[in-house]
Amino acid sequence: MMINDIGEARIRVPDQIRRGDLITVNAIVSHPMDTGFFRTVEGDPIPAYFIKDVIVSYGSQEVARFEWTSGVSRDPVVSFTLIADKEAPLTMVWSDNKGAIFKQSVTISFVSA
Amino acid sequence: MSERRAFFRSCAAALTGLITTRTERLLAATGLSLEPEDPEVPNQEVARILKELFGGRPIRRGHVELDMPVVAEDGRVVPVIIESDLPMSADRYVTGVHLIVDHNPDPHLAAFHLTPAIGSVSISTRIKMKRTTWVRAILETNTGEVWAGYARVLVTLNGCG
Repeated sequence: MMINDIGEARIRVPDQIRRGDLITVNAIVSHPMDTGFFRTVEGDPIPAYFIKDVIVSYGSQEVARFEWTSGVSRDPVVSFTLIADKEAPLTMVWSDNKGAIFKQSVTISFVSA
Repeated sequence: MSERRAFFRSCAAALTGLITTRTERLLAATGLSLEPEDPEVPNQEVARILKELFGGRPIRRGHVELDMPVVAEDGRVVPVIIESDLPMSADRYVTGVHLIVDHNPDPHLAAFHLTPAIGSVSISTRIKMKRTTWVRAILETNTGEVWAGYARVLVTLNGCG
């Protein structure tokens, strides 16, 4: 998965979902996740710049919330499970320490039986 | 040639024997056992974090599988998988998963707050590690129980700067 712009995000869910399935959700967001401990080649310090909060919503319900530090690797990936019990959007909102907010969502829909 | 090889082999065997007995003696002296390996005593910062998160509640080992490489060649990208067999039902579920890397500049690396809608504890991500250390995955349930899984990871390249 190649993504370049800061905040560009992808969420992947299985192609075929049936009501009640326990699905795995994979997400990635493009972000430098700078720790603040590194310097440029010119010797200038690179300030800390990282995603600190992730909110996962399914329909109108907040189902998970992650608190991160700059210890999470560059272009953070995360995967988790979800009980697909309704046809609704799955939305993730990533917030960084400079106040930027990045949003991505996929629709959970069921295959007709 | 074969004599020489045999000689080296016997030397290696002798050395291994020596190390093993020394390790065993050391373990016997300190009262530690090899199985299951215990994480090191938390340093001041980790102890503070554990107290802040869990108060005086006992942190028991079990119900948590922390899957990490034994050797991480690049400390900038170390895969982590945290799984648990604890229930995720409406009345009994895991409310939070804390990832603590003892010798990182910021040891409390991540917290994952969950609800029963998640269905199971099966989280994966990639983290940075400064040096060889113990990693702790500690789960908290809605009933106040605290369960932990530990892994020691050998880090070759510092990923934190």
